[in-house]
Formats: sequence, C-alpha cells, structure tokens
Amino acid sequence: MNNNSASLAEYRRKLRSKRIMLGVCLCILLAAAAVWRIAQGEWNIPLARVAELLSPSLPESERTAPEAIVVRLVRLPRFLAAVGTGGLLAVSGAVLQGVLVNPLAEPYTLGIAAGAAFGGALGFFFGSLAVMPMAFMGALAALWLVNMIAWKGGGGSSAYIVLAGIVTNAILSAGVTFLKAIADDKLGAIVLWLMGSLAGAAPLSAAMVWVGSAIVLVPAFILGRQLDAVSLGEGRGEALGVDERKLRLVLLCSSSIASALAVSYFGIIGFVGLVTPHILRLLIGPSHRQLLAFSFLAGGTLLAVADGAAQWLGELPVGVVTALVGGPFFCWILVSGRRTAK
Amino acid sequence: MNDIFTFDSMSSGYGDKTVLKKLSGVIKAGKITALIGPNGSGKSTLLRTLCGFSRYSGKLALKGREVSSITRKEFGRSVGVVSQQVNVKLSFPVYEVISFGRLPYHGLLTPVSPQDDEVISAAAEAAGVTHLLFRRIDELSGGERQRVLFAMALAQQPEIFLLDEPTSALDPSQSVRVFSVLRRLADKGRSIVVAAHDINISIPFSDEYIAIRDGSITACGSSRELKEDVLEPLYGTKFERYVSSKGETAWHPLKDSRHC
Repeated sequence: MNNNSASLAEYRRKLRSKRIMLGVCLCILLAAAAVWRIAQGEWNIPLARVAELLSPSLPESERTAPEAIVVRLVRLPRFLAAVGTGGLLAVSGAVLQGVLVNPLAEPYTLGIAAGAAFGGALGFFFGSLAVMPMAFMGALAALWLVNMIAWKGGGGSSAYIVLAGIVTNAILSAGVTFLKAIADDKLGAIVLWLMGSLAGAAPLSAAMVWVGSAIVLVPAFILGRQLDAVSLGEGRGEALGVDERKLRLVLLCSSSIASALAVSYFGIIGFVGLVTPHILRLLIGPSHRQLLAFSFLAGGTLLAVADGAAQWLGELPVGVVTALVGGPFFCWILVSGRRTAK
Repeated sequence: MNDIFTFDSMSSGYGDKTVLKKLSGVIKAGKITALIGPNGSGKSTLLRTLCGFSRYSGKLALKGREVSSITRKEFGRSVGVVSQQVNVKLSFPVYEVISFGRLPYHGLLTPVSPQDDEVISAAAEAAGVTHLLFRRIDELSGGERQRVLFAMALAQQPEIFLLDEPTSALDPSQSVRVFSVLRRLADKGRSIVVAAHDINISIPFSDEYIAIRDGSITACGSSRELKEDVLEPLYGTKFERYVSSKGETAWHPLKDSRHC
C-alpha cells in the first residue's frame, strides 16, 4: 500500500468516527424526544408507568385503562407518525435534490402537495372519509401528469421535470383556490387540513408513513452510489455507466409515492424535506448513503420536536413551527458556514 | 481488429437539428485521434454520439457492435469520458469524485476496496491532484477541477478515452502533463479520441487527425502529415508554420484583415 492509499484509509477512518458521533448524538436526541412526547402531556404519567404501559407483556385487562389508551393509542402513534413523516420527507428531499441535481428540490417539487391538496379538498365535498384516499389519488395524478409532460416534452431531463412540476403546481393550486371559493361551510375544514397536523395520528396512519419511508429509503439506499454519480451533474452518471433515466424514474416515483402517503394522512408539512438534507450535507458531506440514513433520523427528530412544540402552543399547524424555528437556524448555519470557509 | 469505432452514413444531432451529416470513417485502435475544427463544427456532437449519449441514424459500431445495443454499464467499463464542463453540483471531496471512476466495476452494495484505493491514488498522481485529495471539489479552480475529472476517467481504467477539450482550463505545463499521460496510455494500447482547439498541443501528441467543418469530415490522416492546406480552409484563416529545433511543428494563425 503506498502513502496515498494509507492516507485515504486514514481519512475514511476519521470520517467514519465523525459519522458515528453524529449518529449517536441524533439517536440520543430522538430518544429524548420520545421520552418527552410519550411521557409528558396534559395527563402526567410517571416514566416508569409509561414503560409498563408500553410493554408487550401488559395484561389484557390493563390495556383498556384510560392511561393505557392515552399512551398506546394516542401519544405513541403520534410520536411514531411524526418520526416517520419527518424521516420520510427529509429522505425524499435528499433523493430529489440529488436526482434532479437541484438544491431547491423538495418532496413537493413534482406537484405532489398541490395534487394531494386538490384531491383532499375535493374529498371534503364527498364526506371526511373520502379525504385521505382522494388526496392520495390526487398526488398520484399530479405525479403522472408531471412525468407525462417531462418525458414527452424533454425526454425526462431534470430541468423539464422541475418545470413540469412548477406548471402542475400552478394549475392544481388554482384548482384548490377555486374549491375553497365554493366550499361554503367546508372552508374551515379544508384550510385546517391543508396546513398539516399530526394531531389525528392513529396506529394505522403511523404504520403507513413508516411503510412510505421504506418505499423511498430502501431503493434510494441501494442505489446510493449511483445517485452520487448522477448528482455530479452534466450527465456524468451516464459516463460512469449509470442508466440515468431509469434511476430517475425509480427514485422519482418511490419518493413521490412516499410523500403522497404522508401528505394524504397529515396534510402539507413544509420545510423539513427542503432543509434537513442541506444541514446534514454541511455536517457530513453529500454522499447519499450516509445522507439518507442521517436525514431519516434528523428529519424524524426535527418533526417530533416541532410537533411537541406545536401541541404545546395550542395545536398550531406543525409546518408553521418547523419553518419558524428551523428557518432562522438554517440561516445561521449558512452564514456561519460561509464565515468558516472564508 | 484495428478499428475501435467504425461509422458509415452516420447522422446525429440534438432534437430535430442534425449536426453531423452522413459521416463515414474509422477511429483506429491504440492511437490518439485528434478531432479538429472550428467552434460549432460538430466535434463535441461526434464525441457524444461515439459514447452513446446522442441518438444517431446510419451505422456506428464499437468493436463491431452497434453502439445503440450497448448498455450504459458496458460503456462505463470500456469508455472513459471527460466532458468540457468543469462544474460539479455537490461539494464532494476530491478522492470521492475520483472513486466514482470505480463505479462501473462495483455491484450496487459493493464498498470501495483497498485495491480501488490503489487505483484512485495512482489516477490522482497521474493527473497531478494528489495534494488536493481531501479538498472539496467546489473549492478548487476550474483547472484543478478539470484535472480531478480527468483523474476520475483514469480511475475508470477504460479501454477507450473520449475527451472533449480536456485542457481548456489548464496552463501549458498541465496541458502537456495531461497529453503525456494520454500518450503513455495510447502506447499501452488504449484508444483515445480528443477534441481540442489548441492544435499545437493536440496534433504533436496525436497519431491521427479528423478535421470536421459544418458537420462533415473535410480531411483525415496522419497528424505528422497535417499541413496548412487542411487547416486554412478548415478554420477560414491563414496559418504560418514553425518547426522547432527538436523538429516539432507549431502553427500560428495570422492576422486577418477582415477581423481588424
């Protein structure tokens, strides 16, 4: 082994230790968030009792006790839904920024949010049960429309995909505005749903966002090195033997379907998917395998904490909290990062 | 087989625009072939078509196989491409950018091995970027980036190199370094096609030349035999030829009263 190879190996060792440290810190933060979100609330239940209530060996007779219902069917699903949704949005953001070679891409770039909003708003006219499936169908319809425009117009190039997403967003947003204008007594419910909230999380919806996370995380992790090559831009992935069109199609569809699941259950929660990958790139670099794993942890933790804050402030829309707290924090990181670089 | 690429009545372009018009010719194996011609003549389009990036009509074969039937993975293993763009969108460390050259040899979950590290460091050394290995690529100058991207292609260890203006951002000494590496590779049997505006560097290092103007081949042959009778109609300007004490030829474009 020559000197360069030895220093490469040493550099990788240091990088690995740095990543392990960050992973441990994020796990500790997530665990602290779990304790806060599951043990604390209007009904203070001691931590030891919470542990008992969460135990799989809890006797059947105790499972219907009010405190067991609060912990097992209200607080735990809400926490898990927040972690799953935050993780899913952050991973989708990282994937889309990489695959579209565009730092401004986020889970809603491809018109998913506008499609879900339009479908969901339409669903309110058919009764509240129709909202979730119609939102999901709306998101998928928007995805189909974007893909059709992009592939027919520009052969699936990333610039065309982003442009098609902007156009689809504009059309469907106008549709949402129209539905709000004719909604009469349903207007309040539509506006509240559009703002996004985890307050109604149930075990099924929490499980579904974790399924959504797996839908995007597993293929993106497996294709991580190829995604790295594509994210170099200028067709370098193709030159390195990657079928960029196929990779783009697989990852755009998986991240969009996952985002559509999250939006249809919990509404539009902005900011997490855009900013979490940027913050992590500053800390651990742009390699996608690490970025995806840390994005899931950091996005999940961020949304769990933000949801706690939103609940504490009287059930504010959680997207408002993520943007209000995370925005200035991100600005600070950008400014201090630039100063350090200078 | 002595020809690495053969093309017959091949046309290619972008969208509805045809840039290359029914080209026929060959690229010889184990040689450096210089593509020369004015801006917009079709040199980059020819390189893009040879590496399977652009659609074409007519016949184009790589070692006897139609290019359109070759998968991207197969291309990645046999063809290294250096484009004239030096922008890299994300701030990867230099060693990682070079390590992407090993991607065609890896399975989806294969990690970078110690053998890959040997190849990466050898590529970095050949391209003169060893001292930059742990810097972020977005912090580097255009010339340094160009050398890093050249090192990435070297780490690919392909049989064929297709290079589009690989020295456009380099100083004379680094340009000579890059062409010397290409010369050594060709002497070891690699086939190299390089488009470069600076004929005074590309021609002395190359074995063959192909002159392209308005999407058509106007001349081709041995680089040693290139004369002003090819260059002057190709570029539409007069050239004066100089021969150094070492016997190397250089051309100087003369002032053109139409441009003054």
